[in-house]
Amino acid sequence: MPRITIDGREVEVEAQATILDAAEKLGIEIPTMCYLRGHEATTSCMVCVVKVAGAASLVPACGTSVRDGMVVESDCDEVREARKAALELLLSDHVGDCVGPCATGCPAHMDIPLMIRQIAAGQMRGAIATVKRDIALPAVLGRICPAPCENVCRRAQHDGAVSVCLLKRYVADMDLQTAEPYLPRCLPKRGKRVAIIGAGPAGLAAAYYLQQDGFDCTVFDDHDEPGGMLRYAVPEEELSHDVLAAEIAQIRKLGVELRLRTRVGVSVSMEDVRREFEAVFIAVGVLKPGDAEALKLAASDKVKVDAATYATDLPGVFAGGDAVRRRKMTVRAVADGKEAARSIAQYLLGEKVTGPAKAFNSRMGKLRDGEMEVFLEAASSSARQTPADPAAGFTASEARHESLRCLRCDCRKGDVCLLRQHAQTHDARQTRYKAERRPFVQETQHPDVVYEPGKCIDCGICIEIASQAREKLGLTFVGRGFDVRVAVPFSAPLSDGLRLVGERCVAACPTGALARKDAQNGQSPKEDETICEGDER
Amino acid sequence: MEELNLTFVDETVEKVGTGAEKVLEILQALQGHYGYLPQEALERVCELTEITPAAITGVSSFYDQFRHRPAGQHIIHVCVGTACHVKGAEQVYEAFRSYLDIPTDDDTDPQKVFTVERIACLGCCTLAPAVQIDGVTYGHLTRETVPKVLNDFLKQAGTAHRTRARRRKVRTGAGEIRVGLGSCCVARGSGRLHESLNKALVETGVRVPVKRVGCVGMCHQTPLLEIVTPSGESSLYARVEPEDAKPIVLRHFGARGPHRKITGAVSRTLDRLLTDESWGPVTRYSINVRDREVSDFLGRQIHVAIEHCGHIDPTDLDEYVRHDGFKALEKCLKELQDDEVIGQIEASGLRGRGGAGFPTHLKWSAVRASAGEKKYVVCNGDEGDPGAFMDRMLMESYPYRILEGMAIAARCVGASEGYLYIRAEYPLAVKRVTEAIEKATERGFLGDNILGTDFSLRLKIVAGAGAFVCGEETALMASIEGRRGMPKLRPPYPAHKGLWGRPTLINNVETYAAVSWIIRNGADAFAAIGTGQSKGTKVFALAGKIARGGLIEVPMGISIRQIIDEIGGGIADGRKFKAVQVGGPSGGCIPEGSDNLSVDYESLTAAGAMMGSGGLVVLDETDCMVDIARYFLQFTQNQSCGKCTFCRIGTRRMLDILDRLCAGEGKAADLDELQHLAEIIKKGSLCGLGKTAPNPVLSTLRYFRDEYEAHIDKSCPAGKCKALIKYTITDDCIGCTICAQHCPTDAIAMRPYEKHEIDLEKCVRCGTCKSVCPADAVRVE
Repeated sequence: MPRITIDGREVEVEAQATILDAAEKLGIEIPTMCYLRGHEATTSCMVCVVKVAGAASLVPACGTSVRDGMVVESDCDEVREARKAALELLLSDHVGDCVGPCATGCPAHMDIPLMIRQIAAGQMRGAIATVKRDIALPAVLGRICPAPCENVCRRAQHDGAVSVCLLKRYVADMDLQTAEPYLPRCLPKRGKRVAIIGAGPAGLAAAYYLQQDGFDCTVFDDHDEPGGMLRYAVPEEELSHDVLAAEIAQIRKLGVELRLRTRVGVSVSMEDVRREFEAVFIAVGVLKPGDAEALKLAASDKVKVDAATYATDLPGVFAGGDAVRRRKMTVRAVADGKEAARSIAQYLLGEKVTGPAKAFNSRMGKLRDGEMEVFLEAASSSARQTPADPAAGFTASEARHESLRCLRCDCRKGDVCLLRQHAQTHDARQTRYKAERRPFVQETQHPDVVYEPGKCIDCGICIEIASQAREKLGLTFVGRGFDVRVAVPFSAPLSDGLRLVGERCVAACPTGALARKDAQNGQSPKEDETICEGDER
Repeated sequence: MEELNLTFVDETVEKVGTGAEKVLEILQALQGHYGYLPQEALERVCELTEITPAAITGVSSFYDQFRHRPAGQHIIHVCVGTACHVKGAEQVYEAFRSYLDIPTDDDTDPQKVFTVERIACLGCCTLAPAVQIDGVTYGHLTRETVPKVLNDFLKQAGTAHRTRARRRKVRTGAGEIRVGLGSCCVARGSGRLHESLNKALVETGVRVPVKRVGCVGMCHQTPLLEIVTPSGESSLYARVEPEDAKPIVLRHFGARGPHRKITGAVSRTLDRLLTDESWGPVTRYSINVRDREVSDFLGRQIHVAIEHCGHIDPTDLDEYVRHDGFKALEKCLKELQDDEVIGQIEASGLRGRGGAGFPTHLKWSAVRASAGEKKYVVCNGDEGDPGAFMDRMLMESYPYRILEGMAIAARCVGASEGYLYIRAEYPLAVKRVTEAIEKATERGFLGDNILGTDFSLRLKIVAGAGAFVCGEETALMASIEGRRGMPKLRPPYPAHKGLWGRPTLINNVETYAAVSWIIRNGADAFAAIGTGQSKGTKVFALAGKIARGGLIEVPMGISIRQIIDEIGGGIADGRKFKAVQVGGPSGGCIPEGSDNLSVDYESLTAAGAMMGSGGLVVLDETDCMVDIARYFLQFTQNQSCGKCTFCRIGTRRMLDILDRLCAGEGKAADLDELQHLAEIIKKGSLCGLGKTAPNPVLSTLRYFRDEYEAHIDKSCPAGKCKALIKYTITDDCIGCTICAQHCPTDAIAMRPYEKHEIDLEKCVRCGTCKSVCPADAVRVE
């Protein structure tokens, strides 16, 4: 049996083994996209390239057989650069959005399309979980948010954006009306305490997420009631105190402690707070003169923080919301709270403080002539709904109708796409290579499968699967070179090409090119339902 | 719509067979019959054969040869090979389209008479720019000659089949008349000359055999006619027109009957031509090996692969045998052991002539050592490099020599079956090799029990269908097996797992062509020619802006300068030499100044070029190096099989940048980006096509960086890139109106006796005005 060395470690493998097999045996992870176990390597994506000592060029690990004494490097600069280049080249020719423009445009990056599909499917428990994953106060925001998401909604260019904000309000209102409104699962206590200064949207959001993460949060506020500007600046006809109170109550139910009528820097010193708590999050809203000094920060009209981590100059002290930025938007403050919570958790766990991981997002940009029609094909053609009673928000039927207007811009395989995953880990940029993008095309004739050629990386796995299953028509490469495309022979519809193995092709397809029509985010809708259960603290 | 008659499909399948590997042959037959590939016909093929719908769709869309929509009655293939490109092929293509009023979204004129298609390379580089209309090749086209060519074609199409060959009694020992009948020669009129010669002989009653001979290599002088008198004296006539046939016959062989009277007068006229020393392009005259130009052209050459060039009839087996043909095979079969033969090949230093230069004996030994009952030999005749036509000429002119080399190789490695994969663009090569296989089999040089021994070899021809990547050996095998020509990762090498998984020897045409010479003359004789690492000779196709283009065989180690100046007679039209492109899309440009470079594998690679299969396209001062780089990237990008990311998308991104540069939209960072992409594509691509595709860019960046930088500053020093130049008329204008008459877009108003002006909005930068102006009053800036 040949012995080979990968990254300085020796391993003995079967004579027929590939470098990829050997690496696996050593526990070394080599990224692959076009390789499917049980099938001959197609060696097309070249993301698995490695360097073999003595070879002039890099070789794909998936298809290169081992030779006794072979010395392989799988993690040197040269290899990493080549893999990144392969990914960036694929991305330069990738037509599609990983997440919908709405979610990209939302400061809190809420998974709006998923929420909308859950509404459409009547999965209200799932919908509130989706919403609250990113937005701690959705019933509040459903009333006062300026909805930047709707500005960038693709449908806005056609006949009015999907009414995202009201849909979110609908989800949150319905939830609060249930006997046991949704409470996320909290991780076991970690025995570390966080002080949050300010019970406004940023502070409450931070407390909501930190408490879920197992940290004990105490929120300080000098007012009689929590809510900050939501309570004291927003007119009650816009945002009723009941809604605010109900949503804050859900946060408190997680175990968040409130210390009201307590002004840090006045009734209790910043030093004492920093002694008592392992970390501090400053979310006091717009600074008044003297506030900064009271909090032991450099005198200024706003708190200076690191843009990615929300860390101030003081160790363990973070800040967010209106205290750090001039542009005031509640949804931004809520997003700050959520993101700062991530940094604070990293800090408390002794990890490198980086803030929330920025998910890779492929973006196709503005639509070209004719592309809107492709998107409209699968959506309801009705006009944007307005609630019959604006004060009450959407009824169930209005919400459902509105939800069907969503164009489903996000990728059906956003969570499982290998291109996205590798792009993320290799820090690949889609705009690295300038290119004219191809038109967006979607083939929807198949009952279960959607094919988007613009996302295909031409690996041919589906062609192999169809051929081995003896599909009558199957799939084939058409054309050559840059223009090569996977298609059904004789331009027949996909439903004729994949009569037997549609499901298998979807599972094997490394990107969102072949996807289940009803996929949520790469998962089947049923699985998604189980994500959120009630309070199990 | 009219229902398609599918009986032809049934007949074809009946004739060709039903195996999955028959797909190319069936598609070629269907296309020949229907003019395109109707879907009903393809579906019928799938019903009748083992070919699946996926296979037939994949294959038919992979190769350039196949059309999926109806074509006109005649197809015009405009060659856009390298030599044609630098001589204005794009303008010729546009001229055909505009003359025929072809709508922008179509390739066929509204009356459905002519379809115009680009073709990668016709391999008639010395005729550049060339076009082929239904198999008839025309050379040296310009925008102006397009109507003439079409008229001529239509006229010929009406009369061609009326010409009859007439058998005549010939006297032996009466001397002979030799006419070069390679594709280039035919394109330049040697076919018509051949006819008129036969007619002249009938009319004059002269009985001399007329012999067709293969390519002489002097493509710049074709049609060539060589007269050998009974006394053995030889005269060579160049650029002979059909009407010259009779006077030449009369001059050398006298006439019987009434013609005798005029002989004297004719002879005097020809004498005047004979004494004409100039090589001007205007008229025909007799030349002689003693003439300086001819001796220069031939002097440096050593003929191994093209031995007996110009003397022997390509498919005359007797003549081949008289010239020691198949002696080497006999020696290998009856006197030498297989390992002795391989030892000879090793001692000769022969390396693969297809481009990479892999030692031939190593391949032979590897296949020989591979276990297996069944093995194959394959001849790679898929000469796809634009600007190369050596293999075409070898196959057209010396088919037996290639077959002999294959037979020797097959014997050594233990193969009993073989294939010759020949480009579809080379119909004459296919025809002659087919004929040669038949005749050689009939006489026992091929087939069962060759020369009475236990060695058998059956050879078949597979005609390619237009895909450059099929020159890559794994892609070529995929193509023979009836699949898309997609390369595979090596190892496994073909020597171990080749055609249908069996050990397979693949060598290039020219490699096989050298084998018999080595066996007959000894390895030492071959090794005595050339340099340390590169032994023997190499055949090159010399074309582009050279005075004497043609096909040459030179010793390895000759300098670029010797080839260009001594053999090629320097640059045409008195222009300045700028660079020579060596090795086509895998190669690079060697600039003026580096031209004392030795032509061998290692030196060329070190200089950023590559031997490639041996195309040499000479460039002059009017050629833009950025445009050349773009031309090649356009080619490789289009010819990439599309499998691996680096080649499929990477070459496209390089092309995007080059397009921007040529359009004047380049940025300073673009050059680093090109360099970066080039390096990553070289390093990461799966097969040779991708690994070498960046070479044309890297070599021009290395030697002509200033020209790239000029493009970023929005200027094209060579005046080639249309977006960066404009044409103006100077005060030298004499008001003759010729430019206005010729301008294809009416951008010049006709103003007799006044200075003309060009409307830059309408001007398409075709350069016609500049080429027709008698006063040299058109300036490019």
